[in-house]
Amino acid sequence: MVGEKIETLLESPAHEFDVVVRIAREEDIAVARQMAKQLAQETGFSLADVTKIATAVSELARNIYRYAKEGRIMIRKRLEDRDGPCIEVIAADRGPGISDVELVLTRGYTTYERSLGIGLSGVKRLMDSFEIYSEVGKGTVVITEKRRRKF
Amino acid sequence: MDTGQVTGIVGKLSAESRQRDLWRQFLEAALAGSQDEKATSGMAEALRSLLEELGEKEVADRIIDIGKEEPSFPVTDMLRAVVEISGEMRRENETTLKQLRQMLSELATPIIRIWKDMLLVAMIGNIDSQRAQDIAERLLHRVSSSRAKVVLVDVTGVPMIDTVVGGFLIEMFNAIKFLGAEVILTGIKPEVAHTLVKLGVDFRMVSIARDLEDALRKGIAITMEERNRRKQLALSLAGNEAGESGEDDDL
Repeated sequence: MVGEKIETLLESPAHEFDVVVRIAREEDIAVARQMAKQLAQETGFSLADVTKIATAVSELARNIYRYAKEGRIMIRKRLEDRDGPCIEVIAADRGPGISDVELVLTRGYTTYERSLGIGLSGVKRLMDSFEIYSEVGKGTVVITEKRRRKF
Repeated sequence: MDTGQVTGIVGKLSAESRQRDLWRQFLEAALAGSQDEKATSGMAEALRSLLEELGEKEVADRIIDIGKEEPSFPVTDMLRAVVEISGEMRRENETTLKQLRQMLSELATPIIRIWKDMLLVAMIGNIDSQRAQDIAERLLHRVSSSRAKVVLVDVTGVPMIDTVVGGFLIEMFNAIKFLGAEVILTGIKPEVAHTLVKLGVDFRMVSIARDLEDALRKGIAITMEERNRRKQLALSLAGNEAGESGEDDDL
């Protein structure tokens, strides 16, 4: 079921999103971050929230690059949402997958040398909502949102 | 096709005289079919200018249009030439980009001796792993060779600190401390501070200053203290040699 979800998301047409960045090289992380930043600015997010969104995208793209080698970052703004404007970030890959999702969300857990192990749990705290689906051998999808605060 | 036909086709292709010239040049060279180097390089040159001015899609569409009107026109060969030339252009762009990136990393992180025994590192722009490595290496080398006591690290120009950049900074700070120097961090912007707290990146191992002025003041205080301590030590050592004791108690 998770595998299907990953496939549908990875196959989803590019025109459904405002930004689609293929992550395969380290430079792509900076591109994804920059585009997320620009979209968040256009949507009218505060500087603090723009930085948070850009940082979250950076972490997600970094995870794809490190563990799955290749994947996609997809970002769209939803202006007509019930709770006000919102930015949705989806990170999807066909990488090795995660056997224990709870464990990777623990602060300080990492399988990567020299990493702080706070990336994914950090993303959860930077954004307003956070969902993760993963299956070993199939891949991983992270769906996360940030809503614009009302003034 | 003869020259008259070429002129006819070229006339339909573009209203601009410069582009018409380029098309003519390209078509004449292409249709001459000669294999000598001068002709092929002439064709490549014209095609390159056309691609630069019109873009790949426009050029390809036009070539297909010519093929429709003139069945003898070698559309496949021409499209192959277009693919080859745009591949060449892409590779050239990549090389330029690579060189620019290298230039940027050389320019973007000056290490300045700002005071006696004190270095300033002003980091600017996004930091990737390659740049991080380069900065850390140069800085550690400089700290060791200049025997600096204090290193001011200014991150005003860094738009975003994620866990990777944070991790890199922590590693670098710890390494500097291993060399026996103090680190003072400054220039963390409010939005970055917020993100760091959310991520849980902890810079507790270094002292943090509000701005560069504050950092400089703190740094000077540390170097002065160090110098005074050394002066006292030297005095008391001299005193001991002269046979007057009793002053080493306060060391």
